[in-house]
Amino acid sequence: MDMILKIALRNIGRHKRRTFLSAVTIAAGLIVFILIDSTLTGIDRMSIDNMITLSSGALKIQTVTYDKEKNTFPLNYGMGEELSKVRAALALDKRVLHATRRTQFLGQLSNYDETIPVVGTVVDEAADTMVFGLKPYITGSYFGPDNGREILIGRQLAQDLGVGVGDNITLYALTKYDSRNADQFRIAGLLNTADPTINHSGVFITYTAANEFLDLENTVSELDVSTKRNSNLGVFSHDVKEIQATLQHQFPSLRVNTFLDLGAGVLELTRAKRVAGIIFMAVILVIAVVGIFNTVFMSVYERIREIGVLRAHGLKPRDITFMFVLEGFITGLFGSALGIMVGSLANMYLVVTGIPMEKMVGKIATASYGISGNIYGEWNLPAMGIAFCLGMLVATVAGIIPARRASKIQVTQALRFA
Amino acid sequence: MEAYMALLEINKVRKEYRKGDKTVTALNSVDLAIEKGEFLSIVGPSGSGKSTLLNIIGCLDTASSGSVLYNGRELGGLTERQLSDYRRDNIAFIFQSYNLIPVLTVQENVELPLVIERRFSKKQMAEKALAMLTAVGLDGMADRLPRELSGGQEQRVAIARALVKNPLVVLADEPTANLDSKTAEDIISIMQRMNSERRTTFVFSTHDKRMEQHAKRIVTLKDGAIEKDERR
Repeated sequence: MDMILKIALRNIGRHKRRTFLSAVTIAAGLIVFILIDSTLTGIDRMSIDNMITLSSGALKIQTVTYDKEKNTFPLNYGMGEELSKVRAALALDKRVLHATRRTQFLGQLSNYDETIPVVGTVVDEAADTMVFGLKPYITGSYFGPDNGREILIGRQLAQDLGVGVGDNITLYALTKYDSRNADQFRIAGLLNTADPTINHSGVFITYTAANEFLDLENTVSELDVSTKRNSNLGVFSHDVKEIQATLQHQFPSLRVNTFLDLGAGVLELTRAKRVAGIIFMAVILVIAVVGIFNTVFMSVYERIREIGVLRAHGLKPRDITFMFVLEGFITGLFGSALGIMVGSLANMYLVVTGIPMEKMVGKIATASYGISGNIYGEWNLPAMGIAFCLGMLVATVAGIIPARRASKIQVTQALRFA
Repeated sequence: MEAYMALLEINKVRKEYRKGDKTVTALNSVDLAIEKGEFLSIVGPSGSGKSTLLNIIGCLDTASSGSVLYNGRELGGLTERQLSDYRRDNIAFIFQSYNLIPVLTVQENVELPLVIERRFSKKQMAEKALAMLTAVGLDGMADRLPRELSGGQEQRVAIARALVKNPLVVLADEPTANLDSKTAEDIISIMQRMNSERRTTFVFSTHDKRMEQHAKRIVTLKDGAIEKDERR
């Protein structure tokens, strides 16, 4: 074993350039995988974070009837007396941080020249900031103390209507009793978020304004909940699902949805991206397989006489196989270690500095993924571990065929080989 | 009274090769008995079957028909693994072109058969290898690599490697063919010394008249058959 290892190691050292090239191919596969995985994980996290922060919360609770009719944004299927019971139940769960009420409605925003359909959201201006994170995206200001006539609108919407902060704008909508109403609101702030729906068609008013404008009577169509975050998405999802199950059991007349249910589309996209990343790495690893196969095959070819001598001295075919497989394995180990080292350094840049994707491909392209600003990488240690093992496995497997061939060479033919 | 038994016995061995559509007979019904301690030379023109006979004796190749017995044991039915064990435990080889492992030092090359045997500790292996190197006149060269040696020195290493495990039989295929006269004489005298001191059986094929002169028995092959078998 010692001698076989010694021979394998020294032969690897003897052909430094060839070994290095094979190792670099494996390393390249791993580096690409680490960076793609890191970026995709970063994008996923950003998409999910933005979804939770801007629209879904960790949990969204509505009545079953509202849930069925939610595409029409009805104002008459509110939560009623169940609201306080749900709040009381949430208060008992230590994982729950805050809850806020919201009510959505359909309307139109007009500057008299142009009218654009909008999705309105009535918010509890104090509690909403505890669950959602709209404030950092506002140009202008959030709702002030006199918010009965204030409105927040998406920046793109403002651009389309040619209005800005401080301007007055007319909002049209059907009230809770289906009568048409119109009122003027002063634009307090413009929202420029990673959610294109908000930017293009989102308007926000307070319950004070809505009770008058929509005859809302404090009707609450949804209760949005924030929970303690865990950096591990799996653990976080598990916690949220547990809370969902408990609430759903306690309140069968309500529909409790998690961000996973609400963001199924985003998460589906996430899975598709991940498959693409894996395919990309697989292609590079196939190239690495060819490289290692070639390296070991060349090594076998060059050392046929040596194989003959070892066999003549009584070394068994399986020892010969082992010797060449070991060379593939060591090359793989070297390549994988190189890949992990260089990949980690490159990933550190992604994690710390990020990629200015918005500047590179434009805001519309990034917004469709629910992301904004720089895209930051993420450390995914299990994936790096798997990639490392896969690199070694690939190199070892690639060495098996030439190694087995080496072990089957006739001793007399090997010794005659010039 | 104990029955006489040769160390190696070859009975009616025939070896045929396929060469394209033709069948070539390399050995044709060869009978040969080799006793312990012999210093036997196999001679004959190129293509007469010398190397084939050595390969069959050393179990590097198998006979098409006939039998090979080692200490009375038939080797014909052994598996590849058993043949490896047989070679490991009983036979050593010296090759015309030395065939040292280029990435191993002189000492490691000599230790190789002992490593394969797995019977000795590292220290014991090192002691045996160094003693063997001294015996073949390569003191102080243990750490050199084969590429740093002359042809004669390489062949000495090959002899040390062959003898280090104290085999019963050493098979040498043209061991002096690539050496100058002086070096060839040295190599022959080392082999002779080992033969007389250790009673190691040497069977070597050669074209070299100098080697023939030192042999105690000369077997002459012609067209795959034994033409002459002379003892001195």
